[in-house]
Amino acid sequence: MNTIERTPKPYWNSYWAGFGLGLVLLASFVIMGRGLGASGAFTTAVATAAHAVAPAHTENNAFYAEYLGDGTHSPLKDWLVFEVLGVFVGGFVSGALANRLKFFVEKGPRITTGRRLLFAFVGGGLMAIGAKIALGCTSGQALTGGALLNVGSWAFMWCVFGGAYALAYFFRKQWI
Amino acid sequence: MNAPFFKFGLFGDEASFIIAFVIGIGFGFFLERAGFGSGRKLAAQFYLRDLSVLKVMFTAIITAMTGLYMLSRFGMVDLSLVYLVPTFLVPQIVGGLLLGFGFVIGGYCPGTSCVSAVTGRIDGMVYVAGMIAGLVGFAEFYPYIQNLVTITPMGQITLPRLFNLPYGLLVFAVVLMALGAFMAGEWAEKKFGGKEPDPKGSLIGRPWRLTSVRILALALLAVGLVAAVSGAPYRGSRTTIDTKDLELRAAKGADSIQATDLANWIIQGRNDFKLVDLRAEKDFTAYHIPSAENVPLASLTPDLLAHNEKIILCSDDGTQAAKAWFLLEAQGYRFVYSLDGGMRAWQDTVLFPKKAAGVDAASSEKQAQMAKYFGGAQQAEGAAVSTTAAPLLPAPVAPVPQATPVTTGAKPQAGPQARKKKEGC
Repeated sequence: MNTIERTPKPYWNSYWAGFGLGLVLLASFVIMGRGLGASGAFTTAVATAAHAVAPAHTENNAFYAEYLGDGTHSPLKDWLVFEVLGVFVGGFVSGALANRLKFFVEKGPRITTGRRLLFAFVGGGLMAIGAKIALGCTSGQALTGGALLNVGSWAFMWCVFGGAYALAYFFRKQWI
Repeated sequence: MNAPFFKFGLFGDEASFIIAFVIGIGFGFFLERAGFGSGRKLAAQFYLRDLSVLKVMFTAIITAMTGLYMLSRFGMVDLSLVYLVPTFLVPQIVGGLLLGFGFVIGGYCPGTSCVSAVTGRIDGMVYVAGMIAGLVGFAEFYPYIQNLVTITPMGQITLPRLFNLPYGLLVFAVVLMALGAFMAGEWAEKKFGGKEPDPKGSLIGRPWRLTSVRILALALLAVGLVAAVSGAPYRGSRTTIDTKDLELRAAKGADSIQATDLANWIIQGRNDFKLVDLRAEKDFTAYHIPSAENVPLASLTPDLLAHNEKIILCSDDGTQAAKAWFLLEAQGYRFVYSLDGGMRAWQDTVLFPKKAAGVDAASSEKQAQMAKYFGGAQQAEGAAVSTTAAPLLPAPVAPVPQATPVTTGAKPQAGPQARKKKEGC
């Protein structure tokens, strides 16, 4: 392999990537009668792990209990869990084909690695809490509900953009 | 074609997991192709330098929306069987804002963080860890805010129903809005990001050149335009009604719904109808069919219900419902039905059906499962059913039932009171 081959290929045009994503979403509607998701799978995984560590506590917690099912089968046998496993595989395949697999911390030039990782952690935490309050994340609510003209999803979507734009100025050094 | 395939029982749970995996691969693939493994590219959206998030998201939304509309309009997909996350307006506004904060601070959303982490970005991995920590923290905190996350419930509701506008017209409006936003976005990228638009990959730029993305945009616009004049995508909608038709419908019994049909719809999680319970509030509180709304006959005013939705009326024995049926039909409601036999029929055929002789085991089993789902029980053959069955009735359930995937009756359904996994994200 020479160095030219290892140069990351450019990303696809946004409209065509979006069109592909839209067809995947449409396939999900037609085949399954449901849309895409992401945060739900993490919740199921967390609930399952918590159940293994502290069964009594988890069963008494109303939040975890919703994700543990009725106990007749493993909660990990869940549609979203398999879907998110696919997301990891699909992302990896696409990254590998375009020479984009590389270990590094992505950040703007004006922030230290430590701070960037701290922000990533805090951002992830906030996102998880927001997704649980809103019954979905950008995949399950904005994308799926957006295409279904779901009232709550559209309210949610505007608030995601609104919230991000409202704080963007304060975090500009992280990104630009 | 009977779609959604899964809801029509074309395959079972096991096969659905394989499909989930394949769909997930497609999802992850296109996210990575779009550059959404990169936090900087995602966050650039909020500095108006690279509006890929807007473009990818809204192209995906309008592609799926117009596609689903067309498939439903031509009878290939039953749109009412596609799961809608119920709306809880205030929690979704608050959650959306928090998610937005998390997006600009962390750089990702849950789906894109998976792609970021798996392509080697350490910040993506830390973000996933942060999400897990957030979930654990939220779980401990949840009992204190449990009542707050279910305020302002609006049920499974779409924008066309909320604004009482034709579905197709809103589809067209969203397509127009998205295409307008794309062009504004490209202009912003040029102004704030200093990006000269790539002549082949953008909508603005030299006019009258038919590039591939412009063809895509025009195609989506054309489908949207067709949608705007095509009306409702739900199955079984009719457009005209006259008095003759009204008489015929009443005579043929086409104005009523059987209790068992209604029960099946609720089990399937259909969202294309509104169940209106006309009984007094006291009776409603004592027991009501899941998803029913209480509108006592006296307070049934013309503007209370949307004219274009399917309304099913129920009362004690059906006479009240019949009165309300005529009232609403006379006021120009187009899809009003009454529950045949009222709550009594519901009780006798759904909640506590008698096991009939000479019926095959499969349908008897189905009957038993349906009763169990709604918290009732099948009665032995010839058993005397108490006429004062009120104490036997199951406790009222939440007004917004969670949709349950149909399993073609092969497996016992969990009752509404039983713990059920969430279907949403």
